[in-house]
Amino acid sequence: MENQLLKPTLYTPAGALLGGRCTCGHVFFPMQTHGCEVCGRYGADLQPMTLSGRGKLLSATIVHLHADKARATPFTIGKIALAEGPVVRTLLLDRDREIAPGTPMAARLVPIGETGLDLRFAPEG
Amino acid sequence: MARTLKDLRPVYVVGIGWHRYQNPSDTPYVTLGVTAIREALGDAGIEWPTVESAYVATALLGMASGRPMLRHLGATGLPLSHVENASASGSTAFRQACIEVASGLTDVSLAVGVDKRNPVRREGTGIDNLAEDAIAQFTHFSLLTNEYAHRHKVSFEDIARVAVKNHRNGARNRNAQRQQERSLEEVLGGRKVAGSLTPLQCTPVGEGAAAVIVASEDGIRRLGIDAARAIRVVGSTARSERVYAAGLGFDAVLTKETTTIALEEAQVTPRDLDIIELHDAFTVEELHYIENIGLCREGEGVHLLKEGALDIGGRCAVNSSGGLIAMGHPIGPTGIGQIGEIALQLRGEAGPRQHPNARTGLAHMVGVGAVCYVHILQRP
Repeated sequence: MENQLLKPTLYTPAGALLGGRCTCGHVFFPMQTHGCEVCGRYGADLQPMTLSGRGKLLSATIVHLHADKARATPFTIGKIALAEGPVVRTLLLDRDREIAPGTPMAARLVPIGETGLDLRFAPEG
Repeated sequence: MARTLKDLRPVYVVGIGWHRYQNPSDTPYVTLGVTAIREALGDAGIEWPTVESAYVATALLGMASGRPMLRHLGATGLPLSHVENASASGSTAFRQACIEVASGLTDVSLAVGVDKRNPVRREGTGIDNLAEDAIAQFTHFSLLTNEYAHRHKVSFEDIARVAVKNHRNGARNRNAQRQQERSLEEVLGGRKVAGSLTPLQCTPVGEGAAAVIVASEDGIRRLGIDAARAIRVVGSTARSERVYAAGLGFDAVLTKETTTIALEEAQVTPRDLDIIELHDAFTVEELHYIENIGLCREGEGVHLLKEGALDIGGRCAVNSSGGLIAMGHPIGPTGIGQIGEIALQLRGEAGPRQHPNARTGLAHMVGVGAVCYVHILQRP
């Protein structure tokens, strides 16, 4: 059986992010048609745009304690400015290593559980 | 042309009261709330039936919690609304009460905040996210701490000194949840929560209540309120987050934007501020906010902190109440409690934590969303 993407509406099997672009030029993640945060256009004015999944690390932190006991600690959260503009906050591949701000980062899919795949960012290369 | 609060009738804080902020207990919220309101009525020297409207700030009590509480003061039939605006719920209720008095619709209004530590519930937006369930509030501020330390070449130890100061202030405040002085070693000790953040650098969300009564000059005269203890509200500004460039912290930019408008409205400069109560749920926030309020340039907050400029008796006493870190952050009450602390300081009634010659104070609150509220108060 093939591995399943945990959140197929957010990323592709190749690790690209499923974002969007408004006719005003604003690029956002994830894709949505509720309305543009910059100009308020909505519906068909917002079109899907695939984002490279590459960017620069703004900050990272190791989480030592978490309320959800099912989520094993430590794990690392990073804030990444994507090459196309949006800033995302999500899990990094390294669970307990501090990565310096400014480090080039890339998204990749990693196995989660028996058959799942989820997105993690790690230093590029 | 739209007007500001200061263009309308003058509004004064005339009564303040609390139920101590504390760890979660079996005390019903009704007890917390009526205790604070009765203290505020006593402080103003007025009776409940003279209060013409009430704004109840609460984020975690669920629907329509105000009337089951207020009825125990005597059901006068006054108009009552509930205000929920995350951490800024109390600040928002206070602003609404001020606006109602300033407009002339009432002469005496109440803002009361009350909360218990219940689970936060937020409905989904229909838009998925990568890993928000893994990102707690403290994670957001741990990211900011690391960014700040890296950008300004500041040590985590120096950032933690905010908590030493605020615990010292809280130890002199009978309404504070944490009333114990803490050394830098104690603050840095204990289990790390995220990054360098330790529990004593984070607000202990608990329960409690705070109440503020505001009145017009007509109300003060008619009810025989002591005008010498009335503190004027000279600025009230509220903003919400816009789209900022990548890498700009929205908390800081939003604070700058909101404070700039409030200072302009009140016609004061950051140098005029004797007292600041701000949203220090996590140590790094205090540095971010004093810099964006304009006490010093970006990255210089630690210098002010280390030279004692932010202490009671220093250049500007920041979080003389103990702030969110020591006084506590029961959510609904917090923004109202800040106004109470500033009124105490400007009246010269703050006892063991009195900042000398305090004339002008600023209350700052941010809330998830993000929203930002700034009020400026002045002794006449």
